[in-house]
Amino acid sequence: MEDEFDDYQECFSQEGILLKEAPPSHETYIDSIGIIIIHESKKDGEDLKKFMLEWKPNDITIDSDVQYQEWAVVNTVQKRYRTLSGTIPDPHVKFRCLKINFDIIKSFKVQNKGRQLTFYDGSSEVLCSFLFQCGNCDVLVAALKTHLRIGTSKRDRQLYVIYDSDSPEYQQLNKSFAALNIKHDHSLWDFVKNIKDNSYEGSLGAFAKVTNIVFSSLDGTRYPDEITKDDLNNSITELGDEIVHSMAPSLEDGVSSAFQLPPRKEFVRCNPLTEEQWDSQLNSSGQLEDVDDIKMSIFKGGVHPSIRKEVWKFLLDYYPWSSTHSERQALVKVKRDEYYRMKLQWKSFSKQQENNFLDYAQRKSLVEKDVARTDRTLEFYAGDNNINLQTLKDILMTYVMYNFDLGYVQGMSDLLSPILWLMLDECDAFWCFVGFMDKVMSNFEIDQAGMKEQLTNLHVLLNFVDPKLANYLVEHECGNMFFCFRWLLVWFKRELSQEDVMRFWEVLWTGYPCQNFHLLVSVAILEHERNALMEEERGFTEILKYINELSGKLDISLMICKAEGIFHQINDSDYLSDSVRPILGLPVIGTNNLDSHEQSPFESPDISSTGTQPCCSVENVRISPDEIAYEDSIGSNFL
Amino acid sequence: MASRKKILLKVIILGDSSVGKTSLMNQYVSRKFTNQYKATIGADFLTKEVTVDDRTVTLQIWDTAGQERFQSLGVAFYRGADCCVLVFDVTAPNTFKSLDSWRDEFLIQASPRDPENFPFVLLGNKVDLEPRAISAKRAQQWCQSKNNIPYFETSAKEGLNVEQAFLAIAKNALAQQNSTIDLYNEFPDQIKLTNTQKPSGSGDSCAC
Repeated sequence: MEDEFDDYQECFSQEGILLKEAPPSHETYIDSIGIIIIHESKKDGEDLKKFMLEWKPNDITIDSDVQYQEWAVVNTVQKRYRTLSGTIPDPHVKFRCLKINFDIIKSFKVQNKGRQLTFYDGSSEVLCSFLFQCGNCDVLVAALKTHLRIGTSKRDRQLYVIYDSDSPEYQQLNKSFAALNIKHDHSLWDFVKNIKDNSYEGSLGAFAKVTNIVFSSLDGTRYPDEITKDDLNNSITELGDEIVHSMAPSLEDGVSSAFQLPPRKEFVRCNPLTEEQWDSQLNSSGQLEDVDDIKMSIFKGGVHPSIRKEVWKFLLDYYPWSSTHSERQALVKVKRDEYYRMKLQWKSFSKQQENNFLDYAQRKSLVEKDVARTDRTLEFYAGDNNINLQTLKDILMTYVMYNFDLGYVQGMSDLLSPILWLMLDECDAFWCFVGFMDKVMSNFEIDQAGMKEQLTNLHVLLNFVDPKLANYLVEHECGNMFFCFRWLLVWFKRELSQEDVMRFWEVLWTGYPCQNFHLLVSVAILEHERNALMEEERGFTEILKYINELSGKLDISLMICKAEGIFHQINDSDYLSDSVRPILGLPVIGTNNLDSHEQSPFESPDISSTGTQPCCSVENVRISPDEIAYEDSIGSNFL
Repeated sequence: MASRKKILLKVIILGDSSVGKTSLMNQYVSRKFTNQYKATIGADFLTKEVTVDDRTVTLQIWDTAGQERFQSLGVAFYRGADCCVLVFDVTAPNTFKSLDSWRDEFLIQASPRDPENFPFVLLGNKVDLEPRAISAKRAQQWCQSKNNIPYFETSAKEGLNVEQAFLAIAKNALAQQNSTIDLYNEFPDQIKLTNTQKPSGSGDSCAC
């Protein structure tokens, strides 16, 4: 099977899946969380596609292309290349991943409102069983249905039978259940009687065996006996009724509610950080006394416009938070020299040099085109021969020299525009822009890896908070979250007014209450719009249009409040998995902590977990070296 | 094919940054022009009902970002396209040079059923501006080399030739959609055929 694997390609994947039962070879991975991937054979000349199910534990990082085959890195102008690489084979992966050829799966069963999926083999044994940590198995079952001939048991709609298209028996199965030849098969009859007498737990599990016995009874030479057939049908009917009636509602509801998030707390916005508050934090040498307190105030209410210009220099890492007044004066002098030196580099290019430097000329042309169409409706940038447009261009061109490999990418002028508007100083604006770019650099990289990762993470978070909506999006070809691309690329610059976007950015720059808070704001907006999004079976086109048209209509303060509530719901959740934690910069706990919750969903919350953290205390969500390592591993995976 | 059925034609506009993709779309759909359009981030579309050969069709016109690195979004947006509109700026030679790339990349990402005959339309935009860098003759030669792509010289600003160009686009898109449907009809049992053939001797169907 290992060798065959090279001839397969992924056609489906779903994250956040806990291995509940596994063959002895993989017992050590039971209760670990991972990803399920369906592989499809890609051998040419084969009429019949073959499929393989794979479960991979989470500590093996997944190449982004597994999840988003749609992404292809393309450079249409120069140096055309694509990085639609497959996964790079990791020798260790082979031993850890559970791979099951579809040939040996004969049936599978959905339990606990779609939270659990169990596969059975031809000898009625459980092959493996999975718990869905976020969302349910609907999408996976839908994927299985598209790839396999699957029938549903008439009475147990949660039991699915896979028709083996390779086998000659398949032809017979295409006929109705009534035409099955079972006359002489006493073992089947005994079996049906047997499970009828059994308890709910045993019989429901064993019910999957019916399929296999039916399979085994087919030999094509015997003919159906009407009496036996009716007996069987009646028995199955009764059995089905019993099963339906004996479905323990308490168990189902219990499991379902165990996955619910804690109640959402209401948060309100506070007043912006005032000049008095700011000044009171500065000691005699101009050092800030309590940086965390300042950041928390900014997170809760933003910055008053009267001190925004000064405060942004700290938020954007131009001024170190610990610096003294005199250190800042010295820094500005150095940075000013550095800026003008870089500016002179490109300003002093001759026309001939430019002509011989195509990469530079292309960047310059892009900058000029975009500067001419950046926020021209603002008075500051309006009109012909506007000097501020020239400054905007000079800063962006100097940034090209500062970071030539990144160069200029569309969207960057949007990020600079409010900064220059506020700073009114070319050099200060440049260094603040550098600070902003350092925070969002990965959005603009050539392979778009940062954007892919963010869109993926957004879906993971949405799935945790609102699995129904997240599933809806997947089922309607929106699982890639492309419709949020503009939100994330320029941090809602195109959706908000100038004042709102400045307020929003300064809130995000604090890094409170967690990393990637803008993704939680996105989740808040999507959740707020959930009814509209799921209305009238809206699909990719309609949802993209709807989201684009939210521009100018968002109540960002309300959304920040909601997002703060969502953060605490997630942080306080007993079922917070390691697939969600790193996205928000929360410490990874390993899967053991989670397992105990999985096994006893009715237990009281684990006090040792992060769930007991006070709602406004954010000190203990600072990044640990482990998280940085995790981030690095994600990052390197996209390289 | 049921002629009463509503017909939706999906059109994708491609071309370098700032050649006027958004302006052309807005001029055609809303008959307005402003030089205050921002660079497109992500993608957007507008729809317009139009009558082609006595049939009312809805054109769904997709506008995308022009910078090449954002084309990695392409597949999601190109899927199901009935016509691809390539745009260049007649005053900017580089935008003409990239046309091959745009065309190739579209064919790779959209992977239409019949790439040889997939309809493209070329628009040379900004003819109201001087100085001109790409002559009509040069553009037409390129079109001829690509299986006779229709060519229109337009000005989104003046509204020049925009209506005519999009009518041609709609016609080509409609013809494409009809031919795709014919192609389906030729092989109605495609899926069944593959499944009933070749019972491979897999020994996995075990008896209990």
